[in-house]
Amino acid sequence: MRLALRELRRRPGRFAVAGGAMAFLTVLLLFLGGLLDGLYLGSTGLIRSQAAELLTFSDDARLSLLRSRIDPPVRDEVEAVDGVESVRGLGVALVAASVPGENDLADVSLVGYEGGVEGVPDPPEADFVGYADRRLEAFGVEEGDRLGLGPDGIEVEVVGWVEDTSFLLQGGLWVTPATWREVLGSARPDAVLADGTFQALAVTVAPGADPAAVASAIDEATGSTETVTRDEAVLALPGVKEQSSTLSAIINTTFLVVGIVVALFFALVTLERSALYAVLKAIGASSRQLLVGVVVQAVVVAGAALAVGGLLTFLLSLVVPPGVPVQFEGGRALQVVVGVLVASVLGSAVSLRRVIKVDPADAIS
Amino acid sequence: MPALELVDVRKVYRSGDDEVAALDQATLRVGNDEMVALVGPSGSGKSTLLSISGGLLAPTSGTVVVGGEALGAYSAKALTEFRRRRVGFVFQAVNLVPFLTARENLLIVAELSGTDRSSARARAERLLDELGLGDRAGHLPEALSGGERQRVAIGRALMNQPELVLIDEPTSALDTELGEQVMELITTEVKGRGTAAVIVTQDERMTHYADRVVHITDGRLLDE
Amino acid sequence: MSSNLDSLHALRPTLGLAFREMRRARLRFGLLAGALGLLAFLVLFQQTLLTSLLGYFTGALESQSAEVLVYGEEARTSVEASVVLPDTVEEVAGVEGVGASAPLGENTFTAQVGGSLEDVVVFGYELGGPGAPTTLVEGRLPERDGEGVASDLDVDLGLDIGDVVALGPDEDVPIEIVGLAADLRFSVEPTVFTSFATFAAGREAVNPDAPFVPASLVAVAPADGVDPAELADRINAEVDGVEALTRADAVAQAPGVAETSQSFSIVFLLAYVVVAIVTGFFFLILTIQKQQAFTLLRAIGADGGVLAGAVMVQALVVTLVGILLGAGATALVAVLVDDDFAQVPDPRTVLTTGTVIIVLAALAALPSLRRVRRLEPADAAQPSAGLT
Repeated sequence: MRLALRELRRRPGRFAVAGGAMAFLTVLLLFLGGLLDGLYLGSTGLIRSQAAELLTFSDDARLSLLRSRIDPPVRDEVEAVDGVESVRGLGVALVAASVPGENDLADVSLVGYEGGVEGVPDPPEADFVGYADRRLEAFGVEEGDRLGLGPDGIEVEVVGWVEDTSFLLQGGLWVTPATWREVLGSARPDAVLADGTFQALAVTVAPGADPAAVASAIDEATGSTETVTRDEAVLALPGVKEQSSTLSAIINTTFLVVGIVVALFFALVTLERSALYAVLKAIGASSRQLLVGVVVQAVVVAGAALAVGGLLTFLLSLVVPPGVPVQFEGGRALQVVVGVLVASVLGSAVSLRRVIKVDPADAIS
Repeated sequence: MPALELVDVRKVYRSGDDEVAALDQATLRVGNDEMVALVGPSGSGKSTLLSISGGLLAPTSGTVVVGGEALGAYSAKALTEFRRRRVGFVFQAVNLVPFLTARENLLIVAELSGTDRSSARARAERLLDELGLGDRAGHLPEALSGGERQRVAIGRALMNQPELVLIDEPTSALDTELGEQVMELITTEVKGRGTAAVIVTQDERMTHYADRVVHITDGRLLDE
Repeated sequence: MSSNLDSLHALRPTLGLAFREMRRARLRFGLLAGALGLLAFLVLFQQTLLTSLLGYFTGALESQSAEVLVYGEEARTSVEASVVLPDTVEEVAGVEGVGASAPLGENTFTAQVGGSLEDVVVFGYELGGPGAPTTLVEGRLPERDGEGVASDLDVDLGLDIGDVVALGPDEDVPIEIVGLAADLRFSVEPTVFTSFATFAAGREAVNPDAPFVPASLVAVAPADGVDPAELADRINAEVDGVEALTRADAVAQAPGVAETSQSFSIVFLLAYVVVAIVTGFFFLILTIQKQQAFTLLRAIGADGGVLAGAVMVQALVVTLVGILLGAGATALVAVLVDDDFAQVPDPRTVLTTGTVIIVLAALAALPSLRRVRRLEPADAAQPSAGLT
């Protein structure tokens, strides 16, 4: 092993190119992962942050928050179901907001809620004030700003910040249901909802009760709803499932490319080293010792590539156009690190046979 | 107990229906302190004999005993360990690890067997001094002259205090003066430690350094 | 004449050398082809993905007849967020250069399609006016309320000619499919074009609280001889609260299109860089390894151009094999994965991407070529240095 490390130190050039290729592959992996996470987190924050275990939609909405509507009589029915501890209304409107001092409009998902959202305080006392998601800072929104929502520019004052509450890549703005209804009515007159009507209900299950059972009970009681767990609601958001599976497949393919590049490099280098290996075996090195050396080199080169790749990704993130939905998460980075290391070890193992096959007798030509 | 004992060693290579005997009825005894020169034209089987003596190659038939150890029963793994402990090699062309310094090239055997580093290092320093490489020890092979590289190779062969040192054409790439220097060195180092040596050479100028000259032609030894 | 013969003479040994070596070192060249193949697959697959995605986002906009589309200003070129009130629709109609204009409604409905509930995007246009589908492949355009044209991709979903899509919670707004058009999807959903009246009826059925159903856009056909871009500018100047775009601009600026294209571009760029690096270093290392053999060949009279040519031939062959592998893999995935997105790659895309990759590989192989050409035949006479 010391031999392998010394070769790395004394002959860095020959490893540099393989390392360079792997560094760019690392950037690719981190970027793809960032896309995956950015799309997922940015689309689903609103629902993920609900404290309630269940969400109830009207059964003709195909779990679409924007198309669902729950009238007060249905809500009463839901509240009466056994195992339901509390019910809170939820409504969303996707609108454009003018930001004081800025030329561009901000994309906002205006949420009318009744509390029960993690990380978001209870609804403000007054109408026309709200908590803004940090995502909106990218549009120049500051605390105290009066945002003009929709075509009539209905003003809502930002009185606080929240995080990770976006919906369909638009930053959340959390307001009272009355505020939300008014903006909805002005922006989409064909989608206006009467007082008391929400798009969905966030249902908290009584302690000890089985959420799945309560969900079925609710739907049976009303006959017009579809109740699902929070996770199911997340997956039903448009594009979430397809984007995640497609990007994951692409990411896995890229890991494969890493493995092949490493395999290729070590296949070349091992061939070149055949004579040296013969000498080493002649003076008493075992195949195992030589192989460990190869794997160690693969791991060190991978490590260096990860470090350089990480730095390049950081630089890339500074120049990525703002519209591109990338979000770099620690968990994903860890996944990439592990994946690249595993791929490197496996790739270097391709040289296994050749190392074993080297005949020490070849040292004496 | 002789350092090397080959009895009726035969090495046969098959190619298709043909059978080629690279070595035939080779019997050779090399004493503990002996330096034997093995002389023969190319293709005579001297490399084969050297390889078999060092446990690099298994004979088709016959017995090989080095320092009392019978190699016939050894697995490949056991042979590897045997070479590590008891044999020193000086190869003709490829010898030193190109990215290790002279000193590190000496230490490599110790590293492979996991020997205590400090004692190995002390031994390496002594050898380097004796070989006149004291101030070149930190250089890479590419910065050393041909003669200096040869000396490093000899040093490495002696690091594990072997029973037997096997040397392949040590002077073929050197001029007469350098060749003599190397042979002097080999004689001093090898004989001074009571190690046996078999030196394969085509160079008749150098054979007078050996205690005994054995000729080999077409796989057969002419003297015993 | 003789120079042609010379080149021909040089070609045979070049090819012979190149192929002989490749045959003898199958693992190495195979791995390189594999790596390039996977990278080519990555790029091709994502390109087909991108094309499909963009088409599914905005196909409907592209495939309708209005050359100018007028959005509500605060919609920021998002059809789904756009609302244009009746007064504004009238104003637009009055702008000089407007040949015909009509409201265009858009919304996503949950509807009974083929026996199950599906999401369907419905566009409502004024029959006979601008906003009608232009890419009809089967059947006819709607001639009265209650008729519609669907995307030809969704035939299997239950949107074939003769099928009925029922909008509204009580399924009381039926649309009979009378025609099929190509590239008609919008927002990645099945899409149906019907009359504005039918569309409005559907919206009212879904939301009885709504006082009226506004248009999402104004579809405008320029008068004869009027340039759509100029007309769009004029509408923007004369009418408050709107944003007029040509059809092409509307497609390009649809939300998600720019960001999606940019995201994919970054991925393509990175993949291409890796292609160049991997190919370049492979041939460089190979050349260094073969230095002695090459020097020997030069000493015995092989032409430097032939040797260098052999390296280039190998680079091209391996890259070509890689591209074919990548294209094959993309096609295979398309066939196996029953997904609208994965499509068999368009030959033109394969050609363009393939060319880029080949050019990159050839450029990357140049340093190796230079090395080969610079070899001195006299070096062959030196005694072999071995490793040391």
